[in-house]
Amino acid sequence: MAAFKWPITAISSILHRVTGVLLFLAVPFCLWTLERSLNSEAGFLQVKSMLSGDCAKFITWFILSSLTYHIIAGCKHLLMDVGIGESLESGVLASKLVIILGILAAVGLGVWIW
Amino acid sequence: MRFSIYRYDPDKDKKPSMKDYELEIEPGSDMMLLDALQLLKEQDPTIGFRRSCREGVCGSDGVNVNGKNALACITPLSSLKGKKITVRPLPGLPVIRDLVVDMAQFYRQYEKIRPYLINNDEQPVREHLQSPEDREKLDGLYECILCACCSTACPSFWWNPDKFVGPSGLLQAYRFIIDSRDTETESRLEDLDDAYSLFRCRGIMNCVSVCPKGLNPTKAIGHIRNMMLNRGV
Repeated sequence: MAAFKWPITAISSILHRVTGVLLFLAVPFCLWTLERSLNSEAGFLQVKSMLSGDCAKFITWFILSSLTYHIIAGCKHLLMDVGIGESLESGVLASKLVIILGILAAVGLGVWIW
Repeated sequence: MRFSIYRYDPDKDKKPSMKDYELEIEPGSDMMLLDALQLLKEQDPTIGFRRSCREGVCGSDGVNVNGKNALACITPLSSLKGKKITVRPLPGLPVIRDLVVDMAQFYRQYEKIRPYLINNDEQPVREHLQSPEDREKLDGLYECILCACCSTACPSFWWNPDKFVGPSGLLQAYRFIIDSRDTETESRLEDLDDAYSLFRCRGIMNCVSVCPKGLNPTKAIGHIRNMMLNRGV
């Protein structure tokens, strides 16, 4: 497998899956913070102060970046389902676009969070 | 020019290994990878590989070159980058010896899709006629030579070679589903309607990027999905 040359269309797809798994793993953390913040005013303040640390900011950024990439790649899937981006040229172009947009979104989120 | 070739003889070797070879090629000249393999076989007659038509029609010399599946006979050395050319057997299938793989699993999937025309209508006196428009629908499908380059480049086929029909088989399935002379369209769609046969395809297009005949299994699979959807609503 290490000797196999992966085309960009495969890389964008595996990233889609990887971000999906990460998002799934992030669900308990997100639910817990939501539950805490809605529980009481003290809980809200606790979550707020907890999320202002650098490490927590990084985790938040990572989860949100995964989410935006996952959404963008998902849109590509939907477009493919209606027959757009099924040729090799358009498929490669769409995969590049997905990765570029994913990176841009991650950068934008980084600016917003920090 | 340097070559690194996958060597494995299950009768003698415990593990597969890569062996390096050197081949003198006149500067400025070019040849197909198959010709180079043939010359290397003169150096070392124990190298095993399949070959037949040597012009990309029979589909027997599919190999993995520098990480990408291709037919050796229509791959010019000049198109390959890098100082060393690495040749491995097609990934995902059991190796019989060196570059020769056991294609049984691949053929079993092909068999599953009933790769022949079925027409249950009354037989015509001479032949089944087809309009030029209907005939055109088979272009880009019937050209498949079953070399297995696509299916062995597909991770879904690697993980489920017994259940997922694979890009080649599905392209062929669509070739008969869309044929105006075939009357088994419904049952053909029915056969593919489970979690594995068709729906393991995630549209990553490894198949399209390696097909030596320039065919597009991803698109054919999309068409089958749409036909299933239309049937379902």
